[in-house]
Amino acid sequence: MHTVDRTEISIRVLALLEKRFGDAARSLAPDADLSDALPGFDSLVALEYVTAVEGEFGFEVDFVGDDVRYWFSTLARTTEYVRERVEDQAA
Amino acid sequence: MTYDVLRNSSGVVSGESDLWCTYAAVRTLTWLGRIGDLPTPGTVGGFLASRQNSDGGYAWSAGMTSDAWATYYCTQAMADLPEGSRGTVGKPSSAWVWSAAHEDGGFAMMPGQASDVWATYYAVRTLVEICDERPPEALFDWLAALQAKDGGLAWSPAHAKDGASDVRACYYAITAWSTATGGQGPLPWDRERLTNWLKDRQGAAGGFTFQEGDGTDCLWATFRATSALRRLDEAPRDPERCVAWIRGRLRPGGSFTRWPGYPVPDVWAAFCGVGALRELGAGLEDLADRVVEAVLSFRTGQGGFTYRTPGLASDVLTTSAHLLAGHFSDTGERDALRWMESCVLPNEQGVMYMPGRGSEVRCTLWALSAGAFRDDDTARAGIADWLAGSIQNPDGGFGYWEGRASDMVSTSAAAEILHWTGGSSAASLRGIAEYVAACETAPGQYANVPGGRPTLRAALQALRALHRTVGADGARVGDALARHRVRGGGYANEGNRVPDLLSSYEAAVAADTFGLEWDAGHLTTFLDSVRTADGGFAWTPLMATSGGPLADCLGRRLELRLSPGQHGLPPLALS
Repeated sequence: MHTVDRTEISIRVLALLEKRFGDAARSLAPDADLSDALPGFDSLVALEYVTAVEGEFGFEVDFVGDDVRYWFSTLARTTEYVRERVEDQAA
Repeated sequence: MTYDVLRNSSGVVSGESDLWCTYAAVRTLTWLGRIGDLPTPGTVGGFLASRQNSDGGYAWSAGMTSDAWATYYCTQAMADLPEGSRGTVGKPSSAWVWSAAHEDGGFAMMPGQASDVWATYYAVRTLVEICDERPPEALFDWLAALQAKDGGLAWSPAHAKDGASDVRACYYAITAWSTATGGQGPLPWDRERLTNWLKDRQGAAGGFTFQEGDGTDCLWATFRATSALRRLDEAPRDPERCVAWIRGRLRPGGSFTRWPGYPVPDVWAAFCGVGALRELGAGLEDLADRVVEAVLSFRTGQGGFTYRTPGLASDVLTTSAHLLAGHFSDTGERDALRWMESCVLPNEQGVMYMPGRGSEVRCTLWALSAGAFRDDDTARAGIADWLAGSIQNPDGGFGYWEGRASDMVSTSAAAEILHWTGGSSAASLRGIAEYVAACETAPGQYANVPGGRPTLRAALQALRALHRTVGADGARVGDALARHRVRGGGYANEGNRVPDLLSSYEAAVAADTFGLEWDAGHLTTFLDSVRTADGGFAWTPLMATSGGPLADCLGRRLELRLSPGQHGLPPLALS
């Protein structure tokens, strides 16, 4: 990843959700709680989501230290988390 | 034993719909021609659809592994619902059913397990009735091998060699044959010996028992026996007395109850009573209205059904969890224990998940851990006899309930119960060790069933089972814990990245059992990551909400273990 652009990150994260949830993800508000907004977003799907984000952006999430249930609960928070991780990697 | 304590309830109610109860309710209404009375069938369809996994199969609870039992119950109940409320079912379920087919001609409850007649029945009915497909030809040889010396049919060919015939096994095998052939193919058993064995299970009062030697007639056995006989174009020796016995189970102004002396109508009794009268060609018109009224009163807010009026529908796992978490007052604790101690069938001495269901190994371990039968040596000896004398499988392992193929969770639970009750013979302990050995995939690594994928929980359960039987090397436990230790905190069931509460609990139990030192800070960090805002616990750090009473119980017990009192961890097995 060559830049730390929130918009680009958000688009790429949303594309991951669209792949799985289709129309429901397309109309997703940035601050909507994913487990409320997306049908079937249970712990197994959440795990798939985190794994997909890891694969897309090329880093590993610390499932305990990173408070994943907070950072991966909305599109906006995920975007912010990814931005910080990418910045860390670039530093 | 009296069952008056069950008339009301001092156990804990989960408030959730249950798949088994939902299936029974929907089928009962269908048999009575009253499915149209269901007020909101779409909500039932929604509940059933929520049990489907991405592999195409269905699970007892959302998030659990698919099995043949849940797949049949879900798809059959959905097929019974009015059009427009059924959800979707079809090829994905068919593909999943075939994934549990065994080369011996039978089907397993889940891929990798041994075949048993429960799973084979569910799989054949799903394939033929739901998916419009044919079962394998080898099925008939497998069914033929179920006939025991006494003429009855057993849970598996290996059980038949031991002579363990059961009315349920007869019903499941005969129905599988009838479903596969339309009742027209050659019968794979000696007909006269089979029908005589079945008819001999009818008692003088008119009802049936499951097995030779059982002391109490029950509606469940009576339904299975009459259904099996009708599929063979046979009838009980005394059909009139049978009808009278079934109708004698009706409560004044209410629905059916299970057996003489049992005080509460419930959904499985309604299912069995209506089903048996239907098989016997007896009239249902005079009782249909009150049975429908009772069944509809068992609906829950979730869209499905529970076994009785939801406000009184306690279950043993939820009640045990509350007891173990210390949520009761002294009086409440005594009442809750007494309620759980009444959850025992007349002919099976283990504890049931819900009253009137078959006794289950895991539920028995949870109830004992919570304090049930603590001062009742006779009951504890009965549980040990039930385990080692009645339900241990020929491969040495244990399944969830009688006749279900072995798995590591149940086998480990059984080893703990036998240790506590002190009723184990050398042969039963040796059998456990043999089953555990069959699940070893590499030195010190184990799967839940032979040939399955190795996991941390299966390894620790296996090593604890060996510890209780023939002895185990603590170094193996240390190796397993090291392989699955998550750097940030807790333990993962697979690999070492995603920790979960169940695996972390199992890790702490195993470390304590083998006297291994462990890092309290590492576990504390993990617990902080699954603690929820309302003081409960999530199953994984990925979820913000409590995983329910069982998760809350495990989290609370880990907190108590970490407290200055260092309270011991009960060896609870769940999955």
